[in-house]
Amino acid sequence: MDTPGEDHPQFDESADAAELPRIKTGNRELDQILGGGFPANSINILMGEPGSGKTILAERMMFANAEEDARPVVFLSTLSEPLEKVVRYLQQFSFYDESLLAGAVIYDSLGEELAEHGPGALIPKLKDVIQTTSPKMIVIDSFKAIHDLTTSMPDMRRMLYEVSGILSAYETTAFLVGEYSEDQIPVFPEFAVADGMVELARRKHGTRDERYLRVLKLRGSSYAEGLHAFRITDDGLDVFPRLVSPRDAVIYQREQSRVPTGIPGFDDLIGGGFWRGSTVVVEGRSGAGKTTFGLQFAINGVLAGEPSLYLNFQENPTQLARAFENLGKGFDSLRERGLHLAYHSAVELQIDSILVGIFRKVNEHNIKRIVIDAVGDLMNATSDMNRLRGYLYALVQHFVVNGVTSILTYETSQETAVDMRFSAIADAVVVLGLEIDEHGSRRTLHIAKARGIAHDLAVRQFQISVDGVTVT
Amino acid sequence: MPQGRSVLVVERDPHVRELQLNFLTRGGFSVDYATDGHAGLALAEALVPDLVVTEILVPKLDGLALCSHLKAGSKTSHVPVLVCSMLAATARAREAGADAFMKKPLAEQRYMDTIRGVFAARQPTT
Repeated sequence: MDTPGEDHPQFDESADAAELPRIKTGNRELDQILGGGFPANSINILMGEPGSGKTILAERMMFANAEEDARPVVFLSTLSEPLEKVVRYLQQFSFYDESLLAGAVIYDSLGEELAEHGPGALIPKLKDVIQTTSPKMIVIDSFKAIHDLTTSMPDMRRMLYEVSGILSAYETTAFLVGEYSEDQIPVFPEFAVADGMVELARRKHGTRDERYLRVLKLRGSSYAEGLHAFRITDDGLDVFPRLVSPRDAVIYQREQSRVPTGIPGFDDLIGGGFWRGSTVVVEGRSGAGKTTFGLQFAINGVLAGEPSLYLNFQENPTQLARAFENLGKGFDSLRERGLHLAYHSAVELQIDSILVGIFRKVNEHNIKRIVIDAVGDLMNATSDMNRLRGYLYALVQHFVVNGVTSILTYETSQETAVDMRFSAIADAVVVLGLEIDEHGSRRTLHIAKARGIAHDLAVRQFQISVDGVTVT
Repeated sequence: MPQGRSVLVVERDPHVRELQLNFLTRGGFSVDYATDGHAGLALAEALVPDLVVTEILVPKLDGLALCSHLKAGSKTSHVPVLVCSMLAATARAREAGADAFMKKPLAEQRYMDTIRGVFAARQPTT
């Protein structure tokens, strides 16, 4: 006798899983922003002005989710760009894989049907695509072009009700790509049926354009709010999530060990070294010795077996190699032993990409010491000082959680004046001075602040020689 | 296997209903449908299909109650029931006596595999 529900393994236990399955975007950072990717079987709008990167993002996702011998991903072009043009430009990207075309990735055009029959052509086309190809992902680009063909908002609403019904009934994730603007969100009915909305935008910053993406809505999922910078690259989008303080910042285990700088005469002033994971601001006017101080900290870290990262905005890698050589240390040898460099031209700075680059290197190389020379150059990357302070605060929080000891050099205009803007985020502040009078010049150093350390309070003198800084 | 097999689909949503009718027809089944639980129960008692597929959230009589009625009915107690719902309700479907459960949304392969699995489990083992 049959015992329904017990003898037959026809119960999909995974159906009760609380966690939504996700569609990966092909970009690790964007997946993080989206809480793991777009929730599967959702309807999403990718919006932004022409040239903002919507189509590239959609295509990157298509190829990231295309698998041979599985349900295909389908791209439906409408009336914004001919299909041939879309495919032609697609081939420039590294993620393009010709072997997936016409099988795992299907490009199709809805343009002719729309031109001939109007927006009503979308419904039968969608049904036909679903019935004939069983797609796991559908991209409609541009959906806004279909909107523009409708003669009234009620017509659009009726059509969207149908489209939403069809897409919701079937196990597929849809991306409606369109040149929508933010002011259309409360007006256009497509935004009401969307489960997810991601905006891509460009903003002028000086002589540069900066690209940002923003998640405006993601039903059933948490996501990282705010503007996240991105670049368009050969691999699609390189995304730099907005820096926020780590969620577990309050529960980290504070390291109890000291990190000696290795600078002769200096570590005795701070009881042997800075606390591991602390942030030290080294400030002074131009020529005061900040860079040399930072270089020594990085070099001595490498010599002590701690991978170190030197981040620089002024000197290119060749100039920097010379600076290391001038300190009597073999540059190539240091590189082999764990010295890592990151150079960003001061005129091309984008703060988000710099910070994400730091985190990538920290994770990739298990970095334990970082020198950022100079933090003032980061000001060029943002016009908003509050934003910079917020970034730096979040940055040092990440450092402390990861046990990374950092030195941030900062150029001041007035000697010995501790810059209060950065003092608050620093565990220690070292002020370097250069006094010049009729008797000659002398270099001075004093520790203006060192949290949790019984530090020396005197103004000391130091010299810079081929061996670097020596405190007397 | 499907030749001559009949399936009754109880589903309110026209798009989901249309999908199921297409999948089943293409799979060689004959299909009837109802849009609410009462009509589904009446049709099931009248037609005694080989399988009933029902959503939980249908008007008048919900899919789980429909399943219980079918399993208690003298004419329909042997008819397998597949609960196919937007709700994650595997345990409740099992308690109602369902033979199978699958969660929406639907993809043809998974849907048809589940239906074939129900029939396969009903094959007499000698």
